[in-house]
Amino acid sequence: MGESLNPVLVNLISWFLFFYGVGLPVLLIVTVVRLKGFMEITRFESGKGFLYRVNPVTKVALSLAVMVTASTTIWWLGGLLTLAISLVYLTLRDGVRKFVYLMVVLFSSLVSSTWSVAPYVPPSILEPLFPNQQFVTLWTWPSYFEVMGYEPNLTLQGVIYGLQIGFRVTAVLASALLLILTTTTSDIFRMFTKLKVPLSVTFSLLVGVRTVPKIFELLDSSVKMQFLRGLGQGKPRVLYPLLMLYAVFLAIVPTMVYLLRGAKTMAISADTRGFRARPRRTELVELSFGREDYVMWGVIAGLLILAVVANLTGFGRFIPYVGV
Amino acid sequence: MNFVEVRDLRVTYLGRGEPSLQVDGLEIREGESVLVLGKSGSGKSTLVNVLNGVIPGLISARVEGEVSVFGRDPRRTPVHEMATLVGTLLQDPEAQVFHHLVRDEIAFGPENFALSRKEIEGRVEESARVTGVSHLLSRETSTLSGGELQRTVLASVLALQPRALILDEPTSSIDPEGTAEILGLLRSLRRTGMSMIIVEHKVERVLPYVDRVILVDGGRIALNVEKGRLMDHVEVLSGAGVEVPEYYHYLRNHGLSRPALSGYRKSKVSRVRGERVILSGKVMVKTRDGKPLVHTSFSLREGEVVALMGRNGAGKTTLLRAIMDLLDSRLRSEVTLSLMGKDISGTRYYERGSYIAYLPQNFDVMFVRRTVEDEIRSSSRNPEIYLRLFSLEQVRKDDPLTLSFGQRRRVAMASILGRGQRVALLDEPTSGQDWYHRENLGKELRELSGRGISILVVTHDSRFVDRFCDRVMVMDAGRIVMEGTPEEVFQRGVVTPPTEYLVEAGVWNPLDG
Repeated sequence: MGESLNPVLVNLISWFLFFYGVGLPVLLIVTVVRLKGFMEITRFESGKGFLYRVNPVTKVALSLAVMVTASTTIWWLGGLLTLAISLVYLTLRDGVRKFVYLMVVLFSSLVSSTWSVAPYVPPSILEPLFPNQQFVTLWTWPSYFEVMGYEPNLTLQGVIYGLQIGFRVTAVLASALLLILTTTTSDIFRMFTKLKVPLSVTFSLLVGVRTVPKIFELLDSSVKMQFLRGLGQGKPRVLYPLLMLYAVFLAIVPTMVYLLRGAKTMAISADTRGFRARPRRTELVELSFGREDYVMWGVIAGLLILAVVANLTGFGRFIPYVGV
Repeated sequence: MNFVEVRDLRVTYLGRGEPSLQVDGLEIREGESVLVLGKSGSGKSTLVNVLNGVIPGLISARVEGEVSVFGRDPRRTPVHEMATLVGTLLQDPEAQVFHHLVRDEIAFGPENFALSRKEIEGRVEESARVTGVSHLLSRETSTLSGGELQRTVLASVLALQPRALILDEPTSSIDPEGTAEILGLLRSLRRTGMSMIIVEHKVERVLPYVDRVILVDGGRIALNVEKGRLMDHVEVLSGAGVEVPEYYHYLRNHGLSRPALSGYRKSKVSRVRGERVILSGKVMVKTRDGKPLVHTSFSLREGEVVALMGRNGAGKTTLLRAIMDLLDSRLRSEVTLSLMGKDISGTRYYERGSYIAYLPQNFDVMFVRRTVEDEIRSSSRNPEIYLRLFSLEQVRKDDPLTLSFGQRRRVAMASILGRGQRVALLDEPTSGQDWYHRENLGKELRELSGRGISILVVTHDSRFVDRFCDRVMVMDAGRIVMEGTPEEVFQRGVVTPPTEYLVEAGVWNPLDG
């Protein structure tokens, strides 16, 4: 398409498509999820669902199994895994809200990753992936788009290829967030101790886990303060999402400075309470394995078996991607 | 053996030519409690950080001279080993806690020393008992009040069974109830004979629990006296920017005796009564499950400085955020606002900022420009007025984030007022600050009120309120339950008054505590 249309229209549609991959995810993130939404899906909140009772070691193993399965099997298995893990979010505290946020984040991730691949992928890569197929041209770009590295045509196969790559990421993202959402910092600490991870690494990770939701909270405060102080005054509302992005960009430095000051206090507090006094720590509370853990280990084993079987039956990450 | 012995100490931070702290000699006996006073930047924290080994262990600096803490040189002893000799409690409890449950937080220290589970359990129970948090052991730390949180951190420090404690401004970030809890603990710890160094601004509140007072000023020990002789040096304390109760001056002039104190009368402060109401409103905020957080109405008169007081969790910050349309999206709210007769209820936060200025507690995150001048210019067409008003002309080319706390607060004030608003809401601007900075803030607020700007300031600082505010609104359980002049409110005892009121009423004797 595109060849028979008015050149002005072609240019307009082409630039719309160009910005679509960047603009839509940003618009969704800015208007639906917002910084507060990110905060909600990156921090622990106590709850009563079964995942809160699962040992953190089990949850890490599950994340690894999801990663292995999603990255070594055909793309739609990654898609199914994404769906299955996303549904588990409904069992969390404020589950529906978190599920919606997750869906928007995953959709944004899919759109942006597809759009970062599809227009650039040359036929020489697509041909072995989709053998014996006639490529379906969805859009023909103006010739000057090649300066940006675009292929002359956007093909259906290019879009599918981009989606395939996107689905490898979404399952891993959903399961990683699930670990943070349902595990306390204390349990993460115990888990790393159990796994004999060096204490300095553990502490750094813990500070990170505590800091991520705080980053979004502080960015949100900073952005709102910029608007309160007159950012966007007299400008049309339609520009606000862009101004919001601009404000987020400006907010990064003060947020990081604020967090680093807090991290220094935490480091002093930890060291003056004997942190790293001994190469190994003991624990007041032993992480236990319960019924939920055995069920989850069954799921983990199932995922690994699935990965092996999928690879043996031609549904692995082989070329072509379309299976036997 | 002495707790502390210091000779010819010189502490120079990296990149600085001159020492930030110079101490010719200092001794603190075992079992002695010492109050360390001084305004921010005077060198108090440098002194205590040398004693617990944080300098140079965690903060780089050149430390010269002799330092001995229970016979050990902190420079040659790892910080974690020093922790078993000297426990350290810092200012902000939230920044120190990273465990989910109180029990886990207290167990953190003993776990670090790889003690047996039985030993850890015993220490957790004992230190929780001493600090009065035994009933909170299974609570989530995020649900605790400031006082409970600080007592939890103290329990965690005590679980290492140190021989001495350093408390670095332990009450400056918490409300009066929390302060009373911590001070009550100081009393019981002192009875156990534990050595303590307490860095605090609230002289008269801490004085009963110490033996000696040290004043650090300009990086040197300017005063080192037994507490009984402190009244002889009131002028020195005042000159060094330390918060000194008014009756200390009275006692110095009239003699240190109970009969002399009975003649003390607090000096009068003139209050402004605005001619007309500038901002009025009704605010209702609920959680999604219908639990009311704020349900109140309020009004601000022209040119008044009004304090909003009340315990933590009363709804003060929520009220301010509701007025500014900054509430968490998970909360439900109904807000009606009228500014000089104009209904601004339907405006969103980005419009409301042109009517009402707002200073959040963590104002550092609003500095997005590289110079003070640009920061103020980004919200004001005429930055020169505000640079002058807040005495920022000397630092106009500096990066706001590199300035001192007091300067940063002034930049923040200047940049929120640049749109010519007639009303300003300030959320706990006095928290964690020494008297020197609070007094400066008070003077700035009076200057603004003199220009007709109405100010609502959330604070726990009753002395600040008494000296600089015209009216007080007291909030409890989401409602403004009392309103009046500081005299009316403090005399009813609804909130903790400055000790001047208690001394005048004869219900508190500074000589006893």
